[in-house]
Amino acid sequence: MKSKITTIMMVLLAVFITLGGTTSCKSKKRLAREAAEAEYKSKVEQAVKDLNAILDDETLWSLEEKEARVKTIKDWNLQNAEVDDLIFQVEKKLARERAQKEEEERNKQEAQNANTTLERNFATIAQSGSVSQANRTINETLGLFESPNVPVLIIIKQNAGFNDYDRPTTIEKYLNYVKDQKKAAEKVHEIKYNANGKINELELIKK
Amino acid sequence: MKKIIATLVIALCVVGSAMAQDEIDYARKQAIDSLALEKVRDLSKYIKIVGSKETPFSEANRVIDRAEELFMSDAEIGVSSLGSNKITYYRVRKYFEHLMRLNYDRVEIEWYNIEYVSDLQRQPDGTYVGVITIFQTFRGYDKEGNLTYKDTTKKDITVYVKRKETQIGGRTIGFWDVLLGDMRVKETTNR
Repeated sequence: MKSKITTIMMVLLAVFITLGGTTSCKSKKRLAREAAEAEYKSKVEQAVKDLNAILDDETLWSLEEKEARVKTIKDWNLQNAEVDDLIFQVEKKLARERAQKEEEERNKQEAQNANTTLERNFATIAQSGSVSQANRTINETLGLFESPNVPVLIIIKQNAGFNDYDRPTTIEKYLNYVKDQKKAAEKVHEIKYNANGKINELELIKK
Repeated sequence: MKKIIATLVIALCVVGSAMAQDEIDYARKQAIDSLALEKVRDLSKYIKIVGSKETPFSEANRVIDRAEELFMSDAEIGVSSLGSNKITYYRVRKYFEHLMRLNYDRVEIEWYNIEYVSDLQRQPDGTYVGVITIFQTFRGYDKEGNLTYKDTTKKDITVYVKRKETQIGGRTIGFWDVLLGDMRVKETTNR
């Protein structure tokens, strides 16, 4: 009889231990699941907030920072319809911004190249050993312009955003002036182009 | 009476304010001083080019056009020589044509000591007027390369600088128009 009671007690103990262990394991899993769900929800909220801010131009981020943010959100792989839709819209917007930025950089580079070309040609004309040599460079330079009569403005003094100019001239007269005076005393300040990429206004400034 | 005095005070304030706006600060004045001196230096180069027997005729004519643009329309240039007390005054184009025809095989013309003898002063009409003096050494050589004539002339050039406006590319550009007036012979020596 005593042996039976001992056996029943042992079985009951084993059952309690087993049941108790299972309940504890289930609780841990639930907590982990809840934490994961909370994290997911937080990421979705953050993604929606950031993506909307980018769409509405409400951030001070640079284009590179915005692109990096979208990449991070995509790496989260949230598989959320709202987030996916926002990512689609934002990527289109950033692609447009990227294209515009590259265009601006290209134009800036071209303008810089044009400045360099013009200033180099001015120096070549000024230092020419003969009239014919100078005239060759003048003709080559005139090819960059809409016509020989393109206006040339020369800033003699800048004062608090206000420019004082010399009497306006034309590019043909200016290039011949550089040849006659054998000096290139001005540098390029601003160039304006027509639709065909030819210069139609040139602003110089005294060095 | 009080009304008349008040009106006069207001009128004087308005005129004073307008005049003050026309005044330019030291830095801008320096810039137009330099611009006027530069025009005179440009002229010296043009005289050198036209006087040179090596300058092609077409180039010389183009340069004369540019030189003419530096001057007032009725400006005259004085010419002197050691052999005569007479000073002949030519219109600008005539002066340059005379220079081109000088009877030497080679001509050297140098200008130096180019400076203001009378600073640019603002006139009631807003024009700044000053006088720049220059020294010109002229040397004429024959075909054997011998120096046959040399003189040094001191000349005074009146300079007029006026603020003007023009339209370029749809915008109004304010610029300083420098024009040279008469170039008067002050002294000619054989130095």
